[in-house]
Amino acid sequence: MSSEAKTVKFRIKRYNPELDRHFVSTYDVPVRKGMTILDALLYIKDNLDATLTFRYSCRMGQCGSCGILVNGKPMLACYTQVLHLGTDVVELEPLPNLPVIRDLVVDVKPFFARYRKVTPYLIKPEEELKKPEEFLQPPENFWEIWDLTVCTKCGICFAACPAAIDDDYLGPSALATNYRFLRDVRDEGLNERLDAVSETLWLCTSCNSCSLMCPKNVDGSTSVVETRSLVVERGYIPRTVKEVLESAFTYHNPLRTSQAKRLGWAEGLNVKLLPEVGSAEYLYFVCCSAAFDPRNQEIARSTAVILREIGVDFANLGKEEWCCGDHILRMGEKGLFEELAGHNVSMFEKYGVDKVITVSPHCFNTMKNDKPYTDLDVQVYHYTQIIADAIDTGRLKPTREIRRRVAYHDPCFLGKRNNIYEEPRKILESIPGLELIEFRRRLENSYCCGGGAGRVWVEEAPPEKRPCVERVREAVEIGAEVIAVACPFCMTTLEDAVKVLEVEDKIVVKDISELVREACGL
Amino acid sequence: MEVIDADVLIIGAGIAGMRAAIAAAEADRKLRVLVVSKTYAVRSHSVCAQGGTAAALREGDSPELHAWDTVKGSDFLADQDVVEFFTRKAPEEVIRLDHWGCPWSRTPDGKIAQRPFGGHSFPRACFAADMTGLHEVHTLYGRALAYDNIEFYEEWFVTSLVVDGGVAKGATAIELKTGDMHAFRAKAIVMATGGTARMYEFTTFSHTATGDGMAIAYRAGAPLMDMEFLQFHPTGLVPSGILITEGARGEGGYLINAEGERFMKRYAPDRMELAPRDIVARAEKRELLDGKGFTGPYGPYIGLDLRHLGEEKINKRLPLIRDVAINFAGIDPVEEIIPIRPVAHYTMGGIKANIRCETPIPGLYAAGECACLSVHGANRLGTNSTIDCLVFGAVAGEEAAKRASSTSLPELPKEKLEREEKRIFDEILGREGDYEVPEIRSRLRRVMSEKVEIFRTGDELEAAVKEIRELKRMFEDVRVDDKGRRFNTALVQALELSSMLDVSEVTALGALARKESRGAHYRLDYPNRDDENWLKHTLAYYTKEGPVLKYIPVTITKWPPTVRKY
Repeated sequence: MSSEAKTVKFRIKRYNPELDRHFVSTYDVPVRKGMTILDALLYIKDNLDATLTFRYSCRMGQCGSCGILVNGKPMLACYTQVLHLGTDVVELEPLPNLPVIRDLVVDVKPFFARYRKVTPYLIKPEEELKKPEEFLQPPENFWEIWDLTVCTKCGICFAACPAAIDDDYLGPSALATNYRFLRDVRDEGLNERLDAVSETLWLCTSCNSCSLMCPKNVDGSTSVVETRSLVVERGYIPRTVKEVLESAFTYHNPLRTSQAKRLGWAEGLNVKLLPEVGSAEYLYFVCCSAAFDPRNQEIARSTAVILREIGVDFANLGKEEWCCGDHILRMGEKGLFEELAGHNVSMFEKYGVDKVITVSPHCFNTMKNDKPYTDLDVQVYHYTQIIADAIDTGRLKPTREIRRRVAYHDPCFLGKRNNIYEEPRKILESIPGLELIEFRRRLENSYCCGGGAGRVWVEEAPPEKRPCVERVREAVEIGAEVIAVACPFCMTTLEDAVKVLEVEDKIVVKDISELVREACGL
Repeated sequence: MEVIDADVLIIGAGIAGMRAAIAAAEADRKLRVLVVSKTYAVRSHSVCAQGGTAAALREGDSPELHAWDTVKGSDFLADQDVVEFFTRKAPEEVIRLDHWGCPWSRTPDGKIAQRPFGGHSFPRACFAADMTGLHEVHTLYGRALAYDNIEFYEEWFVTSLVVDGGVAKGATAIELKTGDMHAFRAKAIVMATGGTARMYEFTTFSHTATGDGMAIAYRAGAPLMDMEFLQFHPTGLVPSGILITEGARGEGGYLINAEGERFMKRYAPDRMELAPRDIVARAEKRELLDGKGFTGPYGPYIGLDLRHLGEEKINKRLPLIRDVAINFAGIDPVEEIIPIRPVAHYTMGGIKANIRCETPIPGLYAAGECACLSVHGANRLGTNSTIDCLVFGAVAGEEAAKRASSTSLPELPKEKLEREEKRIFDEILGREGDYEVPEIRSRLRRVMSEKVEIFRTGDELEAAVKEIRELKRMFEDVRVDDKGRRFNTALVQALELSSMLDVSEVTALGALARKESRGAHYRLDYPNRDDENWLKHTLAYYTKEGPVLKYIPVTITKWPPTVRKY
């Protein structure tokens, strides 16, 4: 271990409540191996600036006091070593989604107010509580809930959560706690617990930020899905949710459209169909939104044109392509998901499919990660992977200039859930004239468009509470002229937000496939 | 100044405070119970308790055996009537937490699991893996939300107790968010503010465990008892001081010196690594002084070896330990030994209170680490602190509720409130003094670490008292460099420092006066226990000139002092 110090610059966003003034302070801190962000803050307070204000207590990750944004990512100051960040400048900000009191201190009252809405103790009949012995709990059940019990209520999940901008949403921590009690065999409050959340837990987009950012690895995201599944099983679900599920059941797509129109996107393209040709190297899986939604059909079309240009041998399932079920599964309808996925799997088997290209990150995600898809030996690609490879190997050459400032919006199901960050950026960088800029919240810290887990179809929140609006605001702030997406649902929500904010003259939303098609003159 | 009325005012929101709040709220649903704490409830230092909570739950064990272990562990300084009551009440508190949802680790047949701990002759440590305190705090907080007569005042820093005519009537506190001072007036007040070991450099304590409650009670006239007994835990992670639970040894971990020797065989051949903490900490210190420690960039250290436990056991029983060792020392205990050394960990002393948690000031109660009843005497056994907080938190809450039900709200003397406001804002915050808080604080920590540590001598203690008094004089001329009112943590740090200065003075002075070695207090110049002269509790009373020490006898019921061997 070396004790040599390295100077690191701390740039800290501050707020003086007495003067109502926002400002930034910069400090040089000699950093040694093992020094945490909290150590650095204490160093500044003791040696450089006594007015710098932040919370701290246990300094070992148990008390949850010191959550802040470090280089844009929410984390505990005490649990993060400065040198592990690998940057010479460290930017610190207060946690978002909560009002700032002073400097890095936010008011956590709203966070705890929502926690109070679940019942964070065992629900039992009074006479049971008088028993002098412990309630029995098999160790298997203890281990089922253990990972959820270690939540420290630090609020990092809440700060990372796009749905939390809506006061109605209880937030990942409260919902994980609720679910931990739902699963606890000692608890007898099933209905009460489901009632407390059944109206509002649909606001979660399954973006997975809470689970990824949690310093204790509490899986808030999965807790929500599992709770939904209990709610769906019980049957009292909001009308909008019910309609989506019924549509997927009846029409095999969530858009209440006859499967007969499934090939609307392919008009005039002469796309091969597996039921007709029997086999192809790749199955081109289009997804319901890109198949039916007139705007998003452009994405399916552009992608198909590009694939053809590259020389990919592909075919589509035509009417036999059913909803992949990703949204349905994350809405908690496991049975319906199995039916939809089961059909697709049987088609894969029937036509010997071993390679799939998907338009949507959602199809990509579920086919890569969820049973029964994973029982098959199928290679799943998102179309950006195929295009990036083609550009890389010279099979595709974007030659026409697109002189625009383009910000790439990472779709959660491509980035956060499947770690694909590079390919879309490589594609955009290869387009001549295009200036690729980055959102403040990007990569694994990207901000969800608000469309995941079915929310794209059940959205009823007023515009200021929609994540997509927040996201487009950020795009405007960074001076983007184009928001590039790689997901049909991001397209729908963000285009909607552009209209809501009335910034159509400043900014457009384009799918990467559309930009590539334009740049290749196809 | 706004005055807020409470039937029961609880200061501190750790395990003892929240248990007291629930007990008071349950005793009478009409009582208005206020919990005031300088951090949010779930941020209290109690969340750092790791290894377990002692209770005699099973056949083969008994409250009597638990009491005997506790008395012997205390080096016979504990009050035995209190200890017997304590071990009798322990099981119901553990069961109560289970009923409220605490995720206790389980036996294969679904019961609460227990593991061995130092100084206990039966495996009676109930645990939630190695995050016992965290789960107790969150269970209590969750349950407290069920009572609509409990209200939390979080991030309110209590600056003084209002004692008038010899009776505790209220408190003053700064609401950190606004910076305004408010007064509470209450029929009964429970102190549950925790310990004070942040006055040491190398400590397991949260930054916020600064002995504020002890200091304000002391200044208000309540005596502090047995403050010279400060526990050094055998396994503080090097270099941060973060606690590595005794549970690591309870699960079978070894302590080794640089020669690879399990040296405890020379100090406590029967109990080895699971001897009481005072004995193990002294043994480690001896090894280090004898040059048998490992060499490292942060000075010599002892090795805690868990490698033979295997990855699965470490993951299931000690997940936090693995996490912090990797995160803070860059060591994976599955593959490497953990660098540790003795670390300031627990204050056996505290505000003097009786078996009903009553302090000598009517209306003022104390429970948990800030109190001294005395359950732990000269040395506390591992896992006896969290159960102390639960048992006596409940007692304090019930007793406070009883008093609140039979008295009326007192009048607060206005001039005392005004004087306090002036002291905080005009004198401490307003003063343009010569000295800064960090300077005085680091000197205090250095002197405590060097001169009031595991091995003590009269000369060093005398020098320590002298230096602490000099630091106290410097504090009279301290300057707070943040003049803002809202969320002024620099002001909080100054007030915390003044708490630590007062408590340190009492600690050092008590240690200087006690010319014997007992439990955690070890005098190289008086290496033996001296029951004839020193089988007594120290009481320190506040005066402007410094602490005045008095002594009271120890209550012995069943167990006269004997030779303490392990």
